[in-house]
Amino acid sequence: MRILLIEDDSLIGDGIKNGLEKLGFSVDWFSDGDDGHEALLQADYDAVVLDLGLPGRDGLSILTNWRARGCKVPVLILTARGDVDERIAGLNSGADDYLGKPFALKEVQARLNALIRRSSGLSTPEIKYREITFNPQNRKTFFNGKEVTLSPKETALLELLLLNRNKVLSKESIESKIYSWDDDVSSNAVEVHIHHLRKKLGKDIVKTINKIGYIMED
Amino acid sequence: MQKLNLRFRLIIFFGLISLTVFTVAGLLSWQECREKVDEFFDTYQLALARQLSTADWTHVVPESQEITDQLIEDVSNAESEEDSIGFAIFSNAGERIFHDGEKGKDFPPFGRTGSFGTERIDDDDWRVIRLMSTDRQYIVAVGQELDFRTEIVEDMFEEFMTPWGIGLFVLLAAIIVMLTKEFASLNRLAAQLKTRSADDLSPIDETNIPAEVTPLTGEVNQLFARIEEMLKRERDFIADAAHELRSPLTALKVQLEVAQMSANDPQTIRESLQKLEHGIDRSTRLVEQLLAFSRIESNLTPDLHDEESLDWTQIVARIKDEYAPGAAAKQITFIERLSGPPPFQKGNPVWADLMLRNLVDNAVKYSPCGAVITITIEDEKISVCNSDVSVSPEQLTHLGQRFYRPAGQKIEGSGLGLSIIAKIASIYHCRADCTNTSDGFCVTILPQTN
Repeated sequence: MRILLIEDDSLIGDGIKNGLEKLGFSVDWFSDGDDGHEALLQADYDAVVLDLGLPGRDGLSILTNWRARGCKVPVLILTARGDVDERIAGLNSGADDYLGKPFALKEVQARLNALIRRSSGLSTPEIKYREITFNPQNRKTFFNGKEVTLSPKETALLELLLLNRNKVLSKESIESKIYSWDDDVSSNAVEVHIHHLRKKLGKDIVKTINKIGYIMED
Repeated sequence: MQKLNLRFRLIIFFGLISLTVFTVAGLLSWQECREKVDEFFDTYQLALARQLSTADWTHVVPESQEITDQLIEDVSNAESEEDSIGFAIFSNAGERIFHDGEKGKDFPPFGRTGSFGTERIDDDDWRVIRLMSTDRQYIVAVGQELDFRTEIVEDMFEEFMTPWGIGLFVLLAAIIVMLTKEFASLNRLAAQLKTRSADDLSPIDETNIPAEVTPLTGEVNQLFARIEEMLKRERDFIADAAHELRSPLTALKVQLEVAQMSANDPQTIRESLQKLEHGIDRSTRLVEQLLAFSRIESNLTPDLHDEESLDWTQIVARIKDEYAPGAAAKQITFIERLSGPPPFQKGNPVWADLMLRNLVDNAVKYSPCGAVITITIEDEKISVCNSDVSVSPEQLTHLGQRFYRPAGQKIEGSGLGLSIIAKIASIYHCRADCTNTSDGFCVTILPQTN
């Protein structure tokens, strides 16, 4: 899952980026409101973590602008103010959820997973497909009831495919989803991950559509 | 011992005064009555004695006495206006010739003659006057029982004083009623204040409060207003402070979690721990600034108004030494111009130091590499300028607001430095001005009147 993080505080931003990456997300972090605002319009994100107390362009105006342009990506707002008014203003401006500082990383993860799940139309936390069961929160994958060890990128790819069943995903869109702009991506990285997934979860879970991409069919 | 309440004291005071006046007036009245009664009866006795002394007693025989006694007895049985005056007539040899019923019977023939005297006769005190008859053959003695006079005086005194006594009682009752009524509104006020909750700072209702007390309630109401304003400032500050503290706490928490998640990644753990340490330093600085600010803001520092002579040259030298390593790392040059009088010469060295330290700290922190920081003390002004820094007019208006940090500010700070500077300056009747000059961005401390 690719997350856009807009947070001006260097220690918090750095912590959330590193933490979420350890939890399997790919994260692009911007400390400037204007850059962050542009980033969402340039790349395909699954969710946004937006700090309201930005010194440059304030979080609420960024959010309002996105929604006005028709961006439907789920937004989790972070606020240091304890008062209810700010949260209400955030939710009314189009935020999907909020977290008050100080918060735990695990909570950010849980909220993001819930937001992504909801935006994909799923209602249960576990995603099931044939013999595969995937839990987005603890990032564990089971095949025929047995746990399978997948690398973070493989897990991210599996999650992406599971959330976009019956849709053809191009190699480029997969790359943009599971890698952030900071990552070095080798040209055949996606093919390697698909190969590993097939080895671990069965040859036919993903179909290759020549020259177009990959699909996970029901 | 607890002091009695004012109402009770006033009642006792007025009661005692009235009682004293009443007693003195009573004693004087008694004296006056006694004198008048004595004068009256003495005149009467003397007139009687004179009449008797001019009478002809040669024809009095012993039978005359019996007839007279009988007559007197008849009269007194019928109706008697007792004046308890008696008389006796003696021959100049002391032989009793005639007396007035029972009363004159025991008068001794000899004693003080020609003037009044008190004599003890038959266990009673009598006022007696003796006169020689004009032919010097007889002695006339006229006497009156003193107890009778006393009774007359008592009667007069009683009649005279009764209205006064009633008056005294009415006066005291009126005083008590009036005082109770006047104090009722004060008691109500006291009860109202007593039951007031600590956070109720609404003004006291001044209707029905005596005009003498309204200056007091007015002052109390003003005090309430001041306390309310102070509390509001405190609440705002606490809210702001809590907000400012949440961010560094979040940073610590998030970095700690990253370290915890990186059990098999020593590199990340090391980095996270470094960031944690950095975050803790940052929080410590923020807390210190918050404490300094709140202590100045709420005037909790008793030594704030100390009037020691300040050695600004020494303060500048000390702070410059302290910031020299940091400045050197950024190739910052200090220029000093300490030629003239400072804006304030006396004050608390610790706070003066804190003010200048914040000025220099800001300058070093926000100056780019290779900048020049000029510290000037002249013309009753202290200014610290950093070259290569300029602040937009829009930002200038916000500078000095608590926790304000300009947009896009990457350098860490509490947003309290300028507030602290301005606060300390205001204690010494100075203000802090932020301006862009040829020396760069300057913060200047100058007297408020300037």
